Amino acid sequence: MNDEPLIRWDWIARNWDNGSPFAIKTLLESHVVLAFLPVVFGLLIALPLGVACARWRWLYQPTAGAMNVVYSLPSIVLFSIFLSVTGLSWSTVIIPLTFFTLAVLIPAVVDGLGSVPEHVRQSAVAMGFRPLRRLIQVELPVAVPVVLGGLRVATVSSISLVSVGALIGQGGLGNLFTDGWQRQFYTPIIVGIVLIVLLAVLSDGLLVLAQRLLTPWSRARRRTA
Amino acid sequence: MITFEGVTKRYPDGTVAVDDLSLQAPTGAITVFVGPSGCGKTTSLRMINRMIDATSGRILLDDQDVRAIDPPTLRRGIGYVIQQAGLFPHRKIVDNVATVPYLLGWDKKKARARAMELLELVGLDSRLAGRYPFQLSGGQQQRVGVARALAADPPVLLMDEPFSAVDPIVRASLQEELLHLQSELHKTIVFVTHDIDEAIKLGDTVAVLRVGGHLAQMAGPATLLSEPADDFVREFLGKDRGIRRLSFVPAKGVRLGSTPADLVVDEDTRPLGWRSNGGLLPYGTFDPERDSLRAALDAALLSPNGTAIAVDGDGRVIGVATRDALDAVLAQHATGPDEQAREPDGEAPVTDPRRAES
Repeated sequence: MNDEPLIRWDWIARNWDNGSPFAIKTLLESHVVLAFLPVVFGLLIALPLGVACARWRWLYQPTAGAMNVVYSLPSIVLFSIFLSVTGLSWSTVIIPLTFFTLAVLIPAVVDGLGSVPEHVRQSAVAMGFRPLRRLIQVELPVAVPVVLGGLRVATVSSISLVSVGALIGQGGLGNLFTDGWQRQFYTPIIVGIVLIVLLAVLSDGLLVLAQRLLTPWSRARRRTA
Repeated sequence: MITFEGVTKRYPDGTVAVDDLSLQAPTGAITVFVGPSGCGKTTSLRMINRMIDATSGRILLDDQDVRAIDPPTLRRGIGYVIQQAGLFPHRKIVDNVATVPYLLGWDKKKARARAMELLELVGLDSRLAGRYPFQLSGGQQQRVGVARALAADPPVLLMDEPFSAVDPIVRASLQEELLHLQSELHKTIVFVTHDIDEAIKLGDTVAVLRVGGHLAQMAGPATLLSEPADDFVREFLGKDRGIRRLSFVPAKGVRLGSTPADLVVDEDTRPLGWRSNGGLLPYGTFDPERDSLRAALDAALLSPNGTAIAVDGDGRVIGVATRDALDAVLAQHATGPDEQAREPDGEAPVTDPRRAES
């Protein structure tokens, strides 16, 4: 191993897009899908659930409790549980990761709605908003910065957790780690780490950009809160 | 006209916020609810637009029981201004102002055009229209709050401590502007405050409430100052009631003397000061057409010789009021059983020298 360089660039070139299911490009693509679908599903589920928890506070404690229990389970345990249900498919990774995402996003939605200043809510009521319109036009838009904060955490953690799925054969770039460890060959490991970090940084950057564009008013929070 | 008929608000825990309140807020006038915290003034206000529903009794808007109207519909017809303005942080100023027109289904162009009119009406630069609330000062935000409340031209305006979160100078100018707006718009305004000075400055009628939601006294501000109903009202009104009451006596009745030789004026006959050996001494002026007797007395006290300078609307000297002349008017207006400045309850004073006071 002493003669072996830390990175074998020729290996990367040969394996980037060679048509095999373990080509780096293919793994990168599946990693993106496996990481982002749970975030999308999570957001779609967390919005109504979070709104319900904010509306009926008694729902929040049990929901948050259940989500925290799920969150505290090592991801591999959750993957194994779903392996027996959904088999060796993408669902086996996507479903547990959706739960992890929910554990972050439900509190984010609840906190986001809680961040709507009381005088803003009151004045919406006094102007004559009906509840649904108030939620859609006032409360949710004002909650966006907090929800996006949660979305950033959920996205980055989802990107990193996908790799664990490699242990059940569905891990996107995580497969590079298992491959590298098995062969005591560091190049795939380093490629995996670098790509995952790049993916996380890029996604987070895009979300920050989205936040800037969506909420040009969000610096207002300090002043009007 | 807004009529409270035996209105009581009792919470499930037994707390009584408002107790058998009966009063009338006349059309086109400012009625102020004032009292210490816990007196039920805000609760009473919020029962008008059904943010809170009364436990018993009725509130009539003109002749209609508010309970008969669906709350959102009722509220769109009543302007509401809240303490911290309550602007929507995610909407530009113009869209904040257009909130109720949008709710009423106006098209966007018409609603925005109306919003721009209102921004001008409340004295805001049209360049602020495209900003977000956080880019405005507290006073500007409060003006936007008033503009928003007026957007759909509701006949009734509810104001819940609207000026209490801004500094005293801004507050004073917002109060002046409210009076100015009201002199043009003649809305039926119910204004809640804990500040008795604000109540006296703004109210055509002032309802003093005591803790537990009892009406202690309801009267015009001058009557309130001269004839507080009981110790609670007297104490709540605070010191200097006699002097403060003079704010409601026009200075018109003061006999003016001719301009003395030692008053130095410029070429436009605007006063410069009182001549003395060392130069010019300070002076005070009042406008007998617009100011109150209190302002005249104040002007006299600002001059070392005790003589107030009367000026016209352009600040040109038209005469002076000596201490004797002021004394004569003060004697006439000393509180007494047949005091002249009294206003019947619930009726707007005919002359209103407050407008010119600053």
